[in-house]
Amino acid sequence: MSLEEPQPESTYVTDEGVDYDALESLLGAHVLGRETHLNAEAFVIRPDEVQEVLGLLKDEAGFDYLSCVTAQEYEDRYESIYHLKKYGDMTREVGVVVPVPRDDPVSQTAAPVYKTADWHEREAYDLVGIEYEGHPDLRRILLPETWQGHPLGLDYDQDKPQIVPYREHVNPIEGDYRDSDSDTMFINIGPHHPATHGVLHLKAVLDGEQVVDVDPDIGYLHRCEEQMCQQSTYRHQIMPYPDRWDYAPGGLMNEWAYARAVEDLADIDVPEYAQVIRTMGAELCRMCSHMLALGTFCLDIYGDFTAIFMYAMRDREKLQSILEDLTGQRMMFNYLRLGGVAWDLPEPREEFFEKTRDFLEDLPVATQEYHDLITSNEIFQIRTVGTGVLPPEAAKEYGATGPVARASGVDMDLRRDDPYGYYDELDWEVAVEHGCDNYSRLLVRMREVEQSAKIVEQCIDLLEEWPEEDREIQSNVPRTLKPDPDTEVYRGVEAAKGELGIYMRSDGTAKPARFKIRSPCFSNLSTLGEMAEGEYVADLIASLGSLDIILGEVDR
Amino acid sequence: MNPAPLEAVLLPETISELTGLGQFGILGDMIAAFLAAFFVGNLMLAMTGVAGPWAKRKITAAFTDRIAVNRVGPFGLLIIVASAVQLLAKELIIPEHVDRPAYDLAPVVIASSAMLGFAVIPMGSGIQLADPEVGLVFVFAIASIASVGLVMAGYASNNKFSMLGGLRAVAQNIAYEIPLIVTGASVVIFTGTLQMSGIVEAQQQALFTVAGIGIPAWFAIVNPFAFVLFLAANIAELGRNPFDTPEAPTEIVAGYQTEYSSVYFVLIYLGEFLHIFLGAAIITTIFLGGPTGPVLPGIVWFIIKIWAIFLFTQWLRSALPRVRIDQMIEIGWKGMLVLSFANLVLTAVIVGVFVA
Amino acid sequence: MSSEKSPRQSIIDGKPAQTKTRDARMGEGADNRFNSPLREAFGTSPFILTKFDQFLNWCRGSSMFMLQFGIACCSLEMMHTYAVKHDLDRFGSGVPRASPRQADTIIIPGTVVSKFAPRMKRVYDQMAEPKFVVNMGSCAISGGPFQEGYNVVKGAEEVIPVDIHVPGCPPRPEALVYGVVKLQERIANGESSPVVVKPYELEPFGDLEQDEVVEKLTEQLDDDDLVMRYNWADSP
Repeated sequence: MSLEEPQPESTYVTDEGVDYDALESLLGAHVLGRETHLNAEAFVIRPDEVQEVLGLLKDEAGFDYLSCVTAQEYEDRYESIYHLKKYGDMTREVGVVVPVPRDDPVSQTAAPVYKTADWHEREAYDLVGIEYEGHPDLRRILLPETWQGHPLGLDYDQDKPQIVPYREHVNPIEGDYRDSDSDTMFINIGPHHPATHGVLHLKAVLDGEQVVDVDPDIGYLHRCEEQMCQQSTYRHQIMPYPDRWDYAPGGLMNEWAYARAVEDLADIDVPEYAQVIRTMGAELCRMCSHMLALGTFCLDIYGDFTAIFMYAMRDREKLQSILEDLTGQRMMFNYLRLGGVAWDLPEPREEFFEKTRDFLEDLPVATQEYHDLITSNEIFQIRTVGTGVLPPEAAKEYGATGPVARASGVDMDLRRDDPYGYYDELDWEVAVEHGCDNYSRLLVRMREVEQSAKIVEQCIDLLEEWPEEDREIQSNVPRTLKPDPDTEVYRGVEAAKGELGIYMRSDGTAKPARFKIRSPCFSNLSTLGEMAEGEYVADLIASLGSLDIILGEVDR
Repeated sequence: MNPAPLEAVLLPETISELTGLGQFGILGDMIAAFLAAFFVGNLMLAMTGVAGPWAKRKITAAFTDRIAVNRVGPFGLLIIVASAVQLLAKELIIPEHVDRPAYDLAPVVIASSAMLGFAVIPMGSGIQLADPEVGLVFVFAIASIASVGLVMAGYASNNKFSMLGGLRAVAQNIAYEIPLIVTGASVVIFTGTLQMSGIVEAQQQALFTVAGIGIPAWFAIVNPFAFVLFLAANIAELGRNPFDTPEAPTEIVAGYQTEYSSVYFVLIYLGEFLHIFLGAAIITTIFLGGPTGPVLPGIVWFIIKIWAIFLFTQWLRSALPRVRIDQMIEIGWKGMLVLSFANLVLTAVIVGVFVA
Repeated sequence: MSSEKSPRQSIIDGKPAQTKTRDARMGEGADNRFNSPLREAFGTSPFILTKFDQFLNWCRGSSMFMLQFGIACCSLEMMHTYAVKHDLDRFGSGVPRASPRQADTIIIPGTVVSKFAPRMKRVYDQMAEPKFVVNMGSCAISGGPFQEGYNVVKGAEEVIPVDIHVPGCPPRPEALVYGVVKLQERIANGESSPVVVKPYELEPFGDLEQDEVVEKLTEQLDDDDLVMRYNWADSP
């Protein structure tokens, strides 16, 4: 890892963290001021120098990962915050704050520096209304193109009528050719299509069977999650919503992302016992989520609801049953609380342990079955090996995280790089593959299931031997949580799909002033064009399946 | 040609004799032929009726740890009636701008081409409608008409997914038709006849005897290589998994049948299953000794054999991933074609040597 | 949100709900999915046709082809309902078809948002009669936890008529099985749901009443573009 990194960055990163003074001197006159966010220092810069500053930070200081772009509106200004990290070391963070005046909200785009900024800035334009100068394709991304107003802006009136056109599917044979000289065919895959795993719309241009261009059109499940969170209270009301971002179910991992951000924001401690339960629950969810990924990926390749899909569902049933015992619900757990978890393990504890152990014992048999049926099948191999290739450089450019990045040989995992919960005390490995193709992405997921099983097993051992008097599930948290005004934090956890980050700004009330979700699927999906262009339609579908997107998380 | 003991008389003749229709001359013969065709057609339709809505679900369920239909009637068997009536009673949607005669004809072509094929298949117990000298050629020719139906359906539907499905179907059918027929020809080298009854007859004598039980000279045993080739080419020709690219539900929705509803959909659906059974019938006839077998009457053996092959296709469907269209064409032109010619030459040499 | 009141509160306190569009469409067109054309032609119900209708309804109730249609969280539970443990196919209704032309029943498993509603309406329109709709989960019933969202249609019933509602967030597979079986029972008995509340319809842009939004969009849209006009405050 560290061997590959460019030399000069060592100037800006010490053992303790990022040397912000050195960074400031690197940026020199670009810096207008400094802000302190709870996760990192942030530099305030002019709106017309965004590319220059980000370019410097990327090339000179080695911040090669644009994690998130947060846009928000204040009473007197708009602000875009670029959260930068390093793939090599996720704890090295820096923020770049770009304020623009309210009457002329134009900021320079960062898309030429980081490709992932393309989609993030489109979202910021769509929901908040900041315009990005020089952006390659500044359209609405989540809302329909005819939408009036920017809903997360301060003066948005929700009661105004809206008009949504229905144009793209009027007559399927009309307008076949975008360009009358070429022999390509324009085809809509989705939003209702058996392979889109929900309501994704792919505008694909085909040349015969080959994909010339693919443009994912999202927003068919934009459920205003950020608005929902902004009008709910920290203590109780927000927690159910994370379950519904990644409903694969990544429930506990999503809840943890929120819990971790608030616990940092309001400085809440979590008892160790609760951390172990959280770790166990999150890994159970991860297994469940990867099983779904496996099942639906195979559904895309096998066609029809065949054996392998059903077997994956069978194992998911077992996992959901364990999770139901633990949390009380099959999918929407609402189990984590700020500073702990809702309740202790179900009584009798032995039964719960036994059930989970039974599952873990059966798992190697099931995994072997999957390997027999899928990964060692030759047809499956010719279908997936070498297709949907995502080189590591591209993965980094697009801000891909999670199994998608790890299958491209990017060795990152927040559980190890930015430890939280009980992960650093346990013995497990990060699964990394170097194939960069659909096959590797599947392998990474299957290996992660094995690692998760290992983690769960250790957690159970710990929980079983935990002294009864020490079983503190929740720390003392005020009934109404009001963090200090103008505190900002950006925190991520390793969800099943990658880095799930939450940005929050408090304004002294019991509700967050800005709640921004950095969804891993959103960034992962933007790599689809890179993978699928020039490939066959069948591989486009397979690549989409291998990305394992959950539309609830993409659109939020 | 030696008259085979099994097919001494064809079904129309039997009927005309039994009913006394024969005395009415050519008209009587025609009526008898119609009656016979009616009987065979219904037999096959009944089988597809059982296979489509019920057996397929039950078999898939068995492969995937489920139960499938069990509420409607005993073992859920009444679902056959329910599904058929329910689908037939639905609204028939003719989308705008479809190519009218072609759109309407396609399902009929798909279904009827399979039905016609059964005319020359010897089903044992004297059930065979006709036994022309060129039986094998006839059945190949008829079965391949289906690809015309597929491309008509795909083209006429005014839907891009259908279009892709239709094109895939044609590419695939052309690529696998040749290996299929060339492999079939290798059987003809053995038998020296294209007549179906002759081919069945040629497989009767015992090849060798194991513990007093004579193993018949089925071509599947004589030339297993040709059998495997033929089976694979046949599955590709039919467009079943792992070669179901023309339908490919997760890629192109339902391929050529995307726009079809109600009666037309039933026809296409039936046509698909009829084609599976026709393929199974051809395989049975030229590789598995036709309707012959010990103890049980010929027709029962025939049904057992074709259902075994149907079961095999469903097994593949549950277990194998789909190949990509370009890989599929590559396998067809670069692999199967070469292998089938090699098989043909090899068979010719062996037969030549033995005969010599 | 900057305003003190939540959007919901502002609706309750503010102007009375505008129900013009809803009233105009409510109760329109009795549901005649169960009447055969023959029966209508005869005018009365001869014995043989009554029996025939009964038989037809039994067939429709016993065998249903589902549309393979996933929207949100509930679609996961829907998949589980089709799959190993719960096996909806036992009731003769577990064949998912990818093409709406070949499906009888559509399960709406999730939140319907403004961008998707016209598409969902189109998918529903593409299905052949008689067709049935199962609303799965609170989102499809009323918008559920996202009801206050600026982009969320408050229930699928705003767009298409619905036969059965299965509450839950998400409903357990058992609940969905119960809902589907209940629907089958109703179909077999020839009962239908009288629900035809559809405030939102696809209509040509040129037919819309002129107002501020329409004026703004005249440049972007042609008169014969199909559009769906939402009025967030209008729906219940």
